Amino acid sequence: MLNSFEAKYFDGKSSLPQQIKVAFQNDILGLQLQISRDEKINWSLTDLRFERFGNLVEIRNQNYADAILKVENAAFAEEFYSAMKRERRVDIHTRLMGLGLLKISGIALGLLGLIVGAYFYILPPIAEKSAALLPESFDDKIGNVFIENYLEKVEVDTARSMQLEEFASQLKLKNRKSLRFTVVKSEEINAFALPNGHIVVFSGILDNMESADELAALLGHEVTHVNARHSTKMLCRNLAGYMLVSLLFSDVNGVMAVLAENAQQLHSLSYSRNFEQEADEQGLRILVDNHVDPRGMIQLFERLEKDNGVSIPKIISTHPLTEDRKAHMEEMIGTMDYQVVSNPKLVSIFKELTN
Amino acid sequence: METSITESLKQKQTYRLEFFGQGSDYFGIMIVNWLLTLFTFGFYYPWARAKRLKYVYGQTALNDERFHFSGTGKEMFRGFIKVILFYVAVLFIYGIIISVLQTPIFGILFLYLAMFALLPFAIHGSLKYRLSRTSYRGIRFGYRGDRKELTQNFLKWVFFTIITFGIYGAWLLMNIRRYTQSNIRYGEVEFSYDGNGGDWFWLNLKGYFLTIFTLGIYAFWWQRNIFAYFIDHMAMAKGDQKIQCRSLATAGGFFELLVVNFLLTIFTLGFGKAWADMRTQRFLCDNIVMEGDINIDEIHQTEEEYTNAFGEDAVDFFEIDLA
Repeated sequence: MLNSFEAKYFDGKSSLPQQIKVAFQNDILGLQLQISRDEKINWSLTDLRFERFGNLVEIRNQNYADAILKVENAAFAEEFYSAMKRERRVDIHTRLMGLGLLKISGIALGLLGLIVGAYFYILPPIAEKSAALLPESFDDKIGNVFIENYLEKVEVDTARSMQLEEFASQLKLKNRKSLRFTVVKSEEINAFALPNGHIVVFSGILDNMESADELAALLGHEVTHVNARHSTKMLCRNLAGYMLVSLLFSDVNGVMAVLAENAQQLHSLSYSRNFEQEADEQGLRILVDNHVDPRGMIQLFERLEKDNGVSIPKIISTHPLTEDRKAHMEEMIGTMDYQVVSNPKLVSIFKELTN
Repeated sequence: METSITESLKQKQTYRLEFFGQGSDYFGIMIVNWLLTLFTFGFYYPWARAKRLKYVYGQTALNDERFHFSGTGKEMFRGFIKVILFYVAVLFIYGIIISVLQTPIFGILFLYLAMFALLPFAIHGSLKYRLSRTSYRGIRFGYRGDRKELTQNFLKWVFFTIITFGIYGAWLLMNIRRYTQSNIRYGEVEFSYDGNGGDWFWLNLKGYFLTIFTLGIYAFWWQRNIFAYFIDHMAMAKGDQKIQCRSLATAGGFFELLVVNFLLTIFTLGFGKAWADMRTQRFLCDNIVMEGDINIDEIHQTEEEYTNAFGEDAVDFFEIDLA
């Protein structure tokens, strides 16, 4: 036999290895196995599967159940591999592995970089835009689900809630949906807005306020979160982010977990800096439109800053740096043309609310 | 070399279990798996799994001959689809129960029952599939357990576990292991396992308390004892020829394996896991000795070919390690 190689053959019937010779058969595009002096079998390349361990090749034939042909020879391994490649009998995984560890790692790293870039720069705007596809009723639904659970767990100050409603009714808040206001008894210096238009203010923040302007600023800020659908946008963004991550790690269950978790923590959903800035700016416009002193916004920030030592208020920790926000407000007020008209009704409600 | 049966009958044989896998090769496989899974939106997953298994089996050798995993991604993909269909069906029935009866308790009860009922199916199916796709020297492994028998016993053992507040759990585990391992075949070679719940219970009770008293240090001895209990009770027989397995693992060995693997994984942000996995596999092979007189040149094909990958993925879903 020309160009034949020593091989070990297991016939799939017994575990006893047989020493045989094997040669390439170009006319049938395959291998010829010389089992014994009189017994020859032909294996066509199209029936074969193989595994290569360095110079060792283990070949199996789909028509010969579990028979194995083992050849340990560098020349054979090369020739066999290229023949299989020509016949397109090498799967994509094996071909990629053939590139070498360095190249594969490079490709993977480059791809990872692209994905990370997309995660931070491409995904957020797309996700936020896609929030517009969700109907407003979605905002109402998740807000309702949250508030029902939430109000069971906390103590509501009914009298103050009504006063706060009255305070808000004195202001034009540019709201597109009806708003509800609830005062919750808590030391926490915080307030949050739910996508269904329910705004929760803690008694802690009210007790610390000194002017009606500040409260108006707070409401202006929170209302903007509702008007601009910030919660829904953040939800879409978090979900899209998680979907990308779960695609990376092939994990499907996580998506549902994120949805559940975000719905659970609707009140502490941290908005992006852009959203906070938008809420500050629109809040400021609301103050100006209502002829309330826009410096109420700055007072609000200072208040929050001062109280920092007592307990870390969430409104600060999750919001952009207070100094930056203050400076931005100062700058905006400087360029604005505004008129402050005293509003005795607003002040008197505020006094009742904070006495 | 041909030896007559009488000659080889009581002739002591040598067995050498080895693992050749390299972290860098395995890492390459994982990366390519990751790339292909990403580009196919996750659909490559079963194929990726097949590649991983093929590598690990192919790098494990007994007396210089490698093991072989012949399962394919296509088979496992079918199994995966079946598992999904099963889940959908279960959730559908759950939904009906919830909406018709208006009581979540029955629905949740049904979910638990469905999970428990699936477990023996999953154990049976995965063993049957995995072993039928495992071969060595061209001879297939096989699993001959009976699904009905396993299911009935399993439910009985689960019931005992519940009424003994979990204590019977030790017997449950050992009974399953005994049943499943005693039904493994390699050609004419029959496997067996003779561990029992009582020993297992005391081993773990002792391990648990000593680990607490020694602030965790005993954990490595505990781990060694668990490993030894699995291996030392494993044996194979072919007629009156036998192989007995024995563990060589030491607490120090486990300490080194686990601590280094931990550091390898943590300090490389998880990338070192490929190397850690290979170290584990090598540790297992290096610490199992086989002694006996079964001639591995004289095994004949006995197991029928089998096609069904249902359990393979069901078990993967529940993350149960049966190895």
